[in-house]
Amino acid sequence: MSAIAECVVAFIFGSVVGLLVQRSRFCNTAALRDAILFKSYRNTKALLVAMMILTIGFTGFMTLGAGHPLDFDVGANQFVGLFLFGIGMVLAGACTVSTWVKTGEGNVGALWALVCTFIGMFLFSIAWSWNYWPPAPASMTGEPNLPALQLGFANARTLQDKLGIPAIAFGLVQVAVLFGIYRAILRKEMAQHVRHEQAAAADALETPPAEPKVKVLASRRG
Amino acid sequence: MEFFRKTLDPVIALSAIAVLDVFLFLVVGAWTVGGGETMMTGLIAQTFLGDDLRRLPFWSLVFPVHGDYWKIYISLGMLFGAFAGALLSREFYLRIPRRLSEWVLITIGGLLMGVGIRLAFVCNVSTFFGLTPEMNLGGYLAISGIIAGAWVGSMIYKRILEG
Repeated sequence: MSAIAECVVAFIFGSVVGLLVQRSRFCNTAALRDAILFKSYRNTKALLVAMMILTIGFTGFMTLGAGHPLDFDVGANQFVGLFLFGIGMVLAGACTVSTWVKTGEGNVGALWALVCTFIGMFLFSIAWSWNYWPPAPASMTGEPNLPALQLGFANARTLQDKLGIPAIAFGLVQVAVLFGIYRAILRKEMAQHVRHEQAAAADALETPPAEPKVKVLASRRG
Repeated sequence: MEFFRKTLDPVIALSAIAVLDVFLFLVVGAWTVGGGETMMTGLIAQTFLGDDLRRLPFWSLVFPVHGDYWKIYISLGMLFGAFAGALLSREFYLRIPRRLSEWVLITIGGLLMGVGIRLAFVCNVSTFFGLTPEMNLGGYLAISGIIAGAWVGSMIYKRILEG
């Protein structure tokens, strides 16, 4: 596929994603922050369902040798980098998706978050040019490199190649785990719902019943 | 049109996005945002610095700057799709943070996101919609990191909210 065709496909994909995220108000930041702070799981459930579909789709096609999996080594930098990112997204109130979507809705704060993300990336490019860490994809070997805190390359396809078990089998195990988390959330929501109903019923018992309207009118007439 | 009047269930929206993402995975690669943003950073920096930008090895070894990088167009597409959706549902209006504290938090948050993405070589989208569904070990490390970070961020946010 030519570079221009790739850009056109990417733009169409992005446009549909932008529209769906805008209409559903999905937010990756909220999927984590709201679950932690408010025990509210609207976005978390959507994220889990998407991950289940993707796991089946990706590992299914990886079994057949199709698709373009991300091809770079795994390292400690991924934990540290996403740790910083996690703090940042909660403070900024938006992640990489919602900064673009909210900017499209006219949110100037989200646009500023994007500008600051670009500045952060540029600052990092200066630091990388000085210490060359973490290793760039061009210099990755796929093998563990402990002095550079790199653990090598591993995904469902490497498991398939090493163990002879189809990648989809591992995918199904991951889907079962994700479904277990999804079901635990549904149970938690059900328990929250029952508690709310019980509290509402208790409130209703404590408050004296309002005088019937007819009686009030009758007494006024009398 | 009903679609632009009611809020869409996020489970339906994300299921549709996931199916499209599988198609994208087959054609070019899974949905990602951080790589496109980095290339945009390079293009903007090149506008200001010109050839001097190449004195930073990052921009020749890791991200040689060029405009026909497909990941850029995912972000531009998201901006366009959200703008069209907001316009058609009459939800487009300028929202400007009023308090200085909001600007400060957004600035710190944005900088941390930028540094974090580049340090990890992945963003949150690649983590949840690319690496982990591919069962890449990096996806599990990244998810552990983002959950720990979101927890710390939430505690800071809570403390600020409580004043």
